[in-house]
Amino acid sequence: MNFKRLIPFGLTLVLAVLLAGHAPAGTGQSALAAADAVIAGEGCTSILVGRDASVDGSVMTTHTCDCGTCDWTWRHVPAADHKTGSTRTVYHISQYKTWPPAEGLKWDLYKKDLAGLEIPQVAHTYAYHHGMFGYMNEKQVSIGESTIGCQRKMQNSTPAAKLDLSMLTLLGIERAATAREAIQVMGSLAEKYGYGFHDDGEMLAVADAKEAWIFEIMPVGPLWTPESGKPGAVWAAERVPDDEVSVCPNESRIGEIDLANKDVFMASPNVVSLAVEMGYYDPKSGKPFSFKRAYSPVEGSAMSTNGRIQRLWRFFDLVAPSKKFKPETPNMDLPFSVKPDKKISVQDVMAMTRDRSYGTPFDPVQGIRGGPFKNPNYYRGTRVIDHGLAEYSTVTQSRAGFPDPIGGIVWIAFGSQDTSCYMPLYAGMTEIPKSFMVGDHWTFSRDSVRWAFDYADFHVQVAYSEAIKDVQAAQAKYETELVQRTPEIDQQALALYKKKPAKAAEFLTGFAINNATTVTNAWWKLGDDLLVKYNRLYLYNAEKRGFSRGQPATPDWWKKAARAFDILMEPDKK
Amino acid sequence: MTKRIPLGLAAVAALGLAFLVAGQQALPKVGLPILTTSAGQSTDVTTLNIVLEDAGIAYDYCDVPTPEMVADGVGLGGRESGPGFHVESTTDLAKSPAGTPYKAVIFAIGASLKGMGASGLTLDSEEARLKKVIEFCKQKKIFVMAVHIGGESKRGPAGSDNERMIDAVAPLADYLVVTKDSNKDGRFTKLAAAKKIPLTEIEYALGLVDIVKQVFQ
Repeated sequence: MNFKRLIPFGLTLVLAVLLAGHAPAGTGQSALAAADAVIAGEGCTSILVGRDASVDGSVMTTHTCDCGTCDWTWRHVPAADHKTGSTRTVYHISQYKTWPPAEGLKWDLYKKDLAGLEIPQVAHTYAYHHGMFGYMNEKQVSIGESTIGCQRKMQNSTPAAKLDLSMLTLLGIERAATAREAIQVMGSLAEKYGYGFHDDGEMLAVADAKEAWIFEIMPVGPLWTPESGKPGAVWAAERVPDDEVSVCPNESRIGEIDLANKDVFMASPNVVSLAVEMGYYDPKSGKPFSFKRAYSPVEGSAMSTNGRIQRLWRFFDLVAPSKKFKPETPNMDLPFSVKPDKKISVQDVMAMTRDRSYGTPFDPVQGIRGGPFKNPNYYRGTRVIDHGLAEYSTVTQSRAGFPDPIGGIVWIAFGSQDTSCYMPLYAGMTEIPKSFMVGDHWTFSRDSVRWAFDYADFHVQVAYSEAIKDVQAAQAKYETELVQRTPEIDQQALALYKKKPAKAAEFLTGFAINNATTVTNAWWKLGDDLLVKYNRLYLYNAEKRGFSRGQPATPDWWKKAARAFDILMEPDKK
Repeated sequence: MTKRIPLGLAAVAALGLAFLVAGQQALPKVGLPILTTSAGQSTDVTTLNIVLEDAGIAYDYCDVPTPEMVADGVGLGGRESGPGFHVESTTDLAKSPAGTPYKAVIFAIGASLKGMGASGLTLDSEEARLKKVIEFCKQKKIFVMAVHIGGESKRGPAGSDNERMIDAVAPLADYLVVTKDSNKDGRFTKLAAAKKIPLTEIEYALGLVDIVKQVFQ
């Protein structure tokens, strides 16, 4: 590269982009430099909506299961009664471990990884749907997740820690009829049997039809032993006010805690003492104890990290723009929750899971980042909510006023949220679509729902700004219309429930499986249609079948930027 | 028969006591400075480092050292952490200035595809790297200690990721420490007997604290 020319022609390049009106002021070089930033340990985003913050009284949680190479398959586990004295086997479940399909499926094979622990079984376990975690049980208890990390010395990957996060959520959701119960079950089991092994600091959004809670749990270090008599985990939980919303974007959210206020806070008995013992909190400092500052501090702001940790600010700015949150505010100083400017619908929440921070200083397609077709997947220097890495995303609704099997819904979108379609699974369903139960990243399969969405997504990448419109048209038909039909489905199920609950379960199971089949087939066809329409980066009109074929319009600013880049890269003339 | 049981028990107890005593006597003594590293890039090396900190033993750490880095001694030639490469030094430079040759390298054995991926390694390249580092240690008479504290879940069938890491390091170690549930199949016991390597079994990682206090004085 000719470095002597770098400054003047770098300015030329910036000028060319500015002239084209596509480079927002105030970002410039610092944002460009962030292209090389290493984004590590950042995964899922989880949103929580209190019942009085939603348009229909739903309590909502989300989970964008952002991994990229994890298992995406789901299972339904039926309710069961258990004999007195029976035990529950505990398994080590790695969020990342997968098996080739020829060997079998994760939710069969994980049972080979015994944790070496049998715990007393409860008399009755509830039915539930699960993927990477337990998501919704027949009592409308729902869960979302986000990894938050913890102080290094707290990590405990030794076998003394018997419980990983996935296993903990399965135990919580099969044993709990309320969110509070689920938190107590998970917290107390982790204290007794040790938490960690595959996981460290984690946040769970735990909700029921009345309340939404943020539950954060961490290991207590690798030197813990069950014989020590000390808790094998440290945890705290804070209730999201009913008329507010909150989010966890891979950062601890619980600050100061008032354990006297049992309506809002819960915690393990060592919540403060462990921090003192490990040197993370000094009671003599005169400062109040803060869970996040002690156990999982995050430095910086959206702006100071060039957008690496911008999701927290972005969420609050999305839901409460009137409060004018500033991206320069350190993340740890942003509030736990906020009252939204307007009440939130399930479609609003789905849209939030698809957010790409367009129009903000962290816009992934600003300037030339997205190429001529504004593809947000080219530039990953900023971490947006829809990062294109999701195995699947969930939006749960727990709805008071309905019997639990009808009130609880977990909406699932497989693959990247922007090109996917949310499909409902009701809490009362007795089975789930077979295509939800199979598939993996390394073997294409037309039997797997996920590949239908990846197939369409793949063909969107060619000319994103054009093809995404085709996807959005399909989403309007198969997602928006279904959301609008939900009250009708509810009433049909309710009428059947009043006659015989099993009839309602049968109806909801059939409805959701049929819908999933319809949507999956539609996305396979969408992928076919996109392949034809944008084949070889031309535009084919399948209806007209004409000889002439257009090309997706390449914007002038892109041509100018290409010319500017040529000048920048020109060899130095001696 | 009734007499044989107490006699048998007494014999077992005596043998156990003898083993314990022998085990205590057999604990090697090694000086400082030391380098810790991973064989397989699992998080068990973090546990090892925390154990050393708890024991008050200073160390240098590198996740993927090469023979050249080990040869550079304390401070690893001033190398700094970067993407896929992590170094850390708590070594007391007043006692062991930069460049002081290491007296021991401790390997925490445990394979993690995620960890190897983050370091840009494959199983084959990790094996090759370990082989070179251990060969260098043998040439320079640097004490090689290997620990397996990940338990049964960090084991597997012959030829699996974890077993390949064990194969690469354990038979060449000068001292082995393993948790009991890492050694349920007796593999480390057999290996130690065959290669005449001192072996200590511990219940939990916590047990390693006292051992390193005794070994690294």
